[in-house]
Amino acid sequence: MENEIILDFIDVTKRFPGVVALDKASFQVREGQIHGICGENGAGKSTLMKILSGVYPHGTYEGSIIYGGEELKLGASSIREAAEKGIAIVYQELTLVRTMTVGENVFLGREPVEYGSIDWNKLYADTRAILDKYGLDVEPQETVKNLGVGKMQMVEIAKALSENARVLILDEPTSALSEAEVEKLIDILKTLKSHGITCIYITHKLEELFRVTDTVTVMRDGKVITTKPISDYTLEDMVKYMVGREMKERFPKGNRQPGEVIFSVENLKANDPNNAARKIISDVNFDVRKGEILGIAGLMGSGRTELVMTLFGEFGKITDGKVVLMGRELNPTSARQAIDAGISLVPEDRKGMGLVLIQSILKNISLPNLQKFSGFMRIDSDAELNASQQQAKSLRIKAPNLDVAVETLSGGNQQKVVISKWLLSTPSVLIMDDPTRGIDVGAKYEIYKLMNDLAEAGVAIIMISSDLEEVLGMSDRIMVMCRGHSAATLPISEATVERVMALATGIVSE
Amino acid sequence: MTENQQTNSFTNSELFQIMRSNVQTYTILLALVGIWVIFFFTTGGRYLDAQNISNLFRQMSVTAFMAAGMVLVIVTGNIDLSVGKLAGFVSVIVAYFQAYVWYKLIPDQPVLAAVLSVSIGLLTGIISGAVQGYIVAYMRVPSFIVTLAGQWLFNGLILLVTAGQTIPANQPFFSEIAQGYVPDIWGWVFALLAIAFLYFNMVRGRQNKAKHGFTLRNIYIDLLVTSVPALFVLIYVAVVNNYRGIQDPVLLLAATAMIMIYVSNNTRFGRYSYAIGGNSEAARLSGINIRSMIFRIFVLMGFLCGVAGVVLASYVGYGTVAAGTGYELDAIASCILGGTSTLGGIGTIPGAMIGALIIASLSTGLQMMNVAPAWQYVLKAIVLVLAVFADVYFKKGR
Repeated sequence: MENEIILDFIDVTKRFPGVVALDKASFQVREGQIHGICGENGAGKSTLMKILSGVYPHGTYEGSIIYGGEELKLGASSIREAAEKGIAIVYQELTLVRTMTVGENVFLGREPVEYGSIDWNKLYADTRAILDKYGLDVEPQETVKNLGVGKMQMVEIAKALSENARVLILDEPTSALSEAEVEKLIDILKTLKSHGITCIYITHKLEELFRVTDTVTVMRDGKVITTKPISDYTLEDMVKYMVGREMKERFPKGNRQPGEVIFSVENLKANDPNNAARKIISDVNFDVRKGEILGIAGLMGSGRTELVMTLFGEFGKITDGKVVLMGRELNPTSARQAIDAGISLVPEDRKGMGLVLIQSILKNISLPNLQKFSGFMRIDSDAELNASQQQAKSLRIKAPNLDVAVETLSGGNQQKVVISKWLLSTPSVLIMDDPTRGIDVGAKYEIYKLMNDLAEAGVAIIMISSDLEEVLGMSDRIMVMCRGHSAATLPISEATVERVMALATGIVSE
Repeated sequence: MTENQQTNSFTNSELFQIMRSNVQTYTILLALVGIWVIFFFTTGGRYLDAQNISNLFRQMSVTAFMAAGMVLVIVTGNIDLSVGKLAGFVSVIVAYFQAYVWYKLIPDQPVLAAVLSVSIGLLTGIISGAVQGYIVAYMRVPSFIVTLAGQWLFNGLILLVTAGQTIPANQPFFSEIAQGYVPDIWGWVFALLAIAFLYFNMVRGRQNKAKHGFTLRNIYIDLLVTSVPALFVLIYVAVVNNYRGIQDPVLLLAATAMIMIYVSNNTRFGRYSYAIGGNSEAARLSGINIRSMIFRIFVLMGFLCGVAGVVLASYVGYGTVAAGTGYELDAIASCILGGTSTLGGIGTIPGAMIGALIIASLSTGLQMMNVAPAWQYVLKAIVLVLAVFADVYFKKGR
């Protein structure tokens, strides 16, 4: 069945100062299909979608986009315009007003009005109609903040559909979803398809593409590599298209020689500090050796981040179990204690938790380490600068000088600043929570090399990652978490994607 | 050496760049100069004569003490609405002891009495700051609420202490605190010390940068940036010495401002404050005890209110029910005019000091022109919004 072409990208090029984000991208999307776009971070997927949704208006890019037979020319401040033309986007970060109800969110800015006042009955009835039509299982009068991420996404979709969207763009829709929620989303997409709605599905999770899409476009470094029906792909060649080289080169070879166990966690249990009834971690067991990289795998919501934040003294309330660092039992109750004991944490959310964006590189690097350079009265700025400069140099942070605000740096360099700040505190255990999230391939490689160097120098590294390839490529052993407990710890020789996934989803247990 | 090359190639663009990156500071300095020029003409020159300049700085001092603490409060993302009434409360407490207590307990000992009064005043400030800080930091009630309640509370306490009466605080020696003058010769000594310090700092800063291989700024620009405040100090001292000399509270303010500048730039306390305001999550995960920091900032704020209260009592010579009314808003406006961001993380003490000076300049000028109080408020409103708008506008252009 060959459908009409609804979207035709012709030689679309978008330049930023110093970078070509999109380089003559050309491909076609057929009406009523689910069209996947995949590629690594920085491949140009998001730029493409920003052009399509009007964030970058017509004239700021070269080439043209034909939409439904006509060239798409969105003016500046045209985000509404795209929506009016039937192109709607569901962003990676959800954009709902959390304190409002589902209905209010769906019709935000377009509330039905009668005699100058909002017709609430109509609003909720219309919301209900949309939700029912597409099989979205949410209550119109529920307050959004009470919903899980998966249901919030349904609200976003309902909002887009309420504007009579013909093309629905989903940008990494499953990055925050549990397996069951992903299942549900895929069902919804199929319902949408049966109603003739075209979906553009952006992801870097290949397995999802095979489950849901009709056609897939692979992008790399701003270029469209290929577009063909999903049935013409194998997983291997899709990876090859994405990476542009064989998988093996993605991870630098290290020469790590793990030594004795220096950090161990036994039967750890912890509760949510804000809600004592909620268990966040139950029965976690693992240990890390000197000079070893221990990978922690697990699905979103499996308690990985909660576990490391608890070990760092900043989240869970430990109710049972033992944490031992270099022979001494530890009961971390604040980050300060953990740092002083020799644990550092590169947090998951670089901008939100790792950096003070408006401050300089220097101030960010020295922040947790000021005690080293100062008494009560004075910061020894010489010592501070020396030490920070040394770190910045050894990690090759690219910046004119250390007085530059970190908000102006690229994602990879920002992450290096976070790592610098934690290395300066000379940890014996370095916890890295998704250290390569949102940074480009080259910077990833540098961070992997750095991790190797650190491990070779005797630091014990605990690395969490959502990217299974990364866990498999970098770790000496892998601890798999499932619903708050440690399902198993596998030596790398016994770990495969299938085995780790089976453990993480709880299909099998050891 | 690179320094020589750079000295030789003085470029306008470099100066322009520095001006651009400090738009806020320059807009506000220009605004100050503009205000002075306007009043100079509208008052037939009286505005800039020695006596008025002298008064102007004394007038700003009470607000400025509070603004110096308020910068850090706002930088950490908090607010303190109680400072005006707290300073007022301190002033009536001090007046009460001066007028009704010491003459019975320790008659004819004005020095001891004044020392005790000051101590009690400062202690009152510290305790009040500590209580409010504890509620904000450890009981986690938003500072807006706590200090609004604090404002009411101190207002009530003022009424209780004064019983609606005016309490005299014009006893010998105590009056000297805010009404005294520094002898001319000492005025010059302080001025020269301050100037020497400014240039010393500049040279040391350059040496330090050179040592670490940073590119140095053009020496003329550094000289210019240092010479402007130096010149300002010189002119100020020359002018006020022409009248009766530097006023004691102004000297005290200068010392306080210097200490606060040092604290905010060169101590962990200062660094942590800015980090908390910039991103409290990142600060927390960097091992900073946020609650204890917020608590200590409120204690510092309380202490500075104590200083302001003592100066206020000594300056006006009595404690009244109206003491300190509205000063909190002047202090907050000073910070905002001086570039403190209401979003937290950004703000400087020198900026707030200039802000306080602008507000005092407006008030004195308008009073001299006999503008009705109603119109004084209207004009101050316009200046505040214009100044912040100019900043927003220029930042957008960048």
